[in-house]
Amino acid sequence: MLSRFIPSRENANFANFTNCSFLKFAELVRFVKFALKKERGCHCAYCLLICSLLCSLSAVGQERVSMFTIDAGYASVHDSYLTPITYGGMDLALGYEALRSASNDKWFWQVQVGADYNYVENKAKNNELHKLMGDITFGMQRQWRQLIAHRIDVSVGPMTQLRAGIVYNEVNSNNPVSLRAQWNVGAAAMLSMPTRLGRLPLTLRYQMQLPAAGIFFAPEYDESYYEIYLGNHKNLAHLGWWGNRFDMTNYVGADLHLGKTTLRIGYRSRLEHWTVNHLKVHDVTHSIVLGIGH
Amino acid sequence: MNTMLSRFIPCGAYAKFAFKPMRGCHSVYCTYCLPFIVLLCCVILGGCTEKDEFEQDQVGNFEALWTIMDQHYAFFDYKGVDWNEVHQRYRARVSNEMTDRELFDICGDMLKELRDGHTNLIASHDVSRYWIWEQWPVNYDERIIDQYYLNFDYKRASGIKYQILPSNFGYMYYGSFSSGIGEGNLDLILSYLSTADGLIIDVRDNGGGLLTNVEKLVSRFIDERTLAGYICHKTGPGHADVSEPYPYYFGPTPNHIHYLKPVVVLASRGSFSATNNFVSIMKSLDQVTIVGDTTGGGCGLPFTSELPNGWRVRFSSCPILDTQGKLTEFGVAPDVRVDMDLDDRSHDAILDRAIDILTTATRP
Repeated sequence: MLSRFIPSRENANFANFTNCSFLKFAELVRFVKFALKKERGCHCAYCLLICSLLCSLSAVGQERVSMFTIDAGYASVHDSYLTPITYGGMDLALGYEALRSASNDKWFWQVQVGADYNYVENKAKNNELHKLMGDITFGMQRQWRQLIAHRIDVSVGPMTQLRAGIVYNEVNSNNPVSLRAQWNVGAAAMLSMPTRLGRLPLTLRYQMQLPAAGIFFAPEYDESYYEIYLGNHKNLAHLGWWGNRFDMTNYVGADLHLGKTTLRIGYRSRLEHWTVNHLKVHDVTHSIVLGIGH
Repeated sequence: MNTMLSRFIPCGAYAKFAFKPMRGCHSVYCTYCLPFIVLLCCVILGGCTEKDEFEQDQVGNFEALWTIMDQHYAFFDYKGVDWNEVHQRYRARVSNEMTDRELFDICGDMLKELRDGHTNLIASHDVSRYWIWEQWPVNYDERIIDQYYLNFDYKRASGIKYQILPSNFGYMYYGSFSSGIGEGNLDLILSYLSTADGLIIDVRDNGGGLLTNVEKLVSRFIDERTLAGYICHKTGPGHADVSEPYPYYFGPTPNHIHYLKPVVVLASRGSFSATNNFVSIMKSLDQVTIVGDTTGGGCGLPFTSELPNGWRVRFSSCPILDTQGKLTEFGVAPDVRVDMDLDDRSHDAILDRAIDILTTATRP
């Protein structure tokens, strides 16, 4: 589908580019193996391996959209391991998104990398929580053009997400932090509609990510991290499904195309909810999204 | 994707999309508005925030405190406290018309029913407490030791005061397990004290601190992997929802100096929390004798929670048991019970007894 709009010379370059990337990736792997053999720079090697994996994934296919975004808005954090009170405050996030066409023109890849920070206060305004999370999402979607009302493109496909971070309570004694770590698989969907704003081309877009199952970390009800440090690792990893965990990210926005540059403005909400071991987490963000890319 | 899609759509086709004649309001609504209204509803529904369980008024705060303790406190059964009966008694005294200070006093009194030094209500104006050691003999006077035993001549590192006494026994005083201990500092301290025939570790009036410092210190007095005790935690809101005790072990710190000669640990009622844990572990070691008074107890690792008005509450949540599998919430009894003589301001009877014990053990 996408390749329909790509001239044949670009298709040829695309193939070369892809091969070239995999060659580079292979060199990186060889370097990592070398570093591991020599038992030096092991941590660097692991980092390089992860980076190269990401590079290779993002290099699969022709680049279609590459966008840097900043989110700012409201965050609500409820983590019963730290406090029974719901905290509210600021959400700030940085993100990168890349969309690339697959070899099959009906499919495209989507890679998202982001980090978000919440600074939230209790209602009495005498305590704060700091939440710092990072995530990597990788998905592949099948696209149907002009499926709705002969105007709206629809795409749906599987996605997988790795998300981890920490929530820190400044005043708690032996429960000062709540670690978050999860790996999910689920579905992502996108609706997009090209239109115009005056003479400028504009694309309206709705996107949803809906993890369905995965694995996530949670301590037991009042289990201290000291006990985990002492070696009790029982019942820390949990199978997540919609019976105990529900995550959803929604985005509605518009991309304004100014020549080769694209400006993005939109709204994003993220819901993260789980209950396990009588613990409950319910985090919500509502943010304005601004972005620039091509 | 959408960005590039629009970029590659031929102008004619794009124009066809953008300027397609409409077939009335219904069509316009269906084509443009309805999908996005539905999606917007989905977005908003997916973003509902969590509502707090308790009201912000005085009754709500009281109920929040009682519920937090009801669901998280670990020693109701061990102490035989009927928490529902406590609720009935104290709830009758609470009304929304009372001041914050009045509410605080009632809540503080309610928490004292638990007889727990780790349980505090913390507000901007006060901290409620049940510090039973305030009512017991102090059994420690720093000035007596500094003047009559150390002659004001001692070393100090990592919060540890140390010196070799004239009787050739090492003496180290550790006043708080919150003071960080460096492994290098410990090496230098134990290296300096290595020529002494025995060692006295004074943890009287040490109110506790970090359990990781307990491990660091204990690890210098063992030469093999040693059972240090058991730890458990609440697994749910029920009073009996407690996990199976998990045994935990300490091992000798590799490549560092260890002290395996006879040791006496001095304890008092002021030896609380992490210090209570330290004394209970040291008591299980063969070469160690505990001298002084029963420790202050506090074997529950405290967690913190909070009320809607911002007051914080600390409570025992994770019981730590000694090597016999027993709770030491009310203290660890010494091997040799000694009290200081309050009328004798030039002698520390507990320290004197420790010197006698070491003398007997090392010079038969």
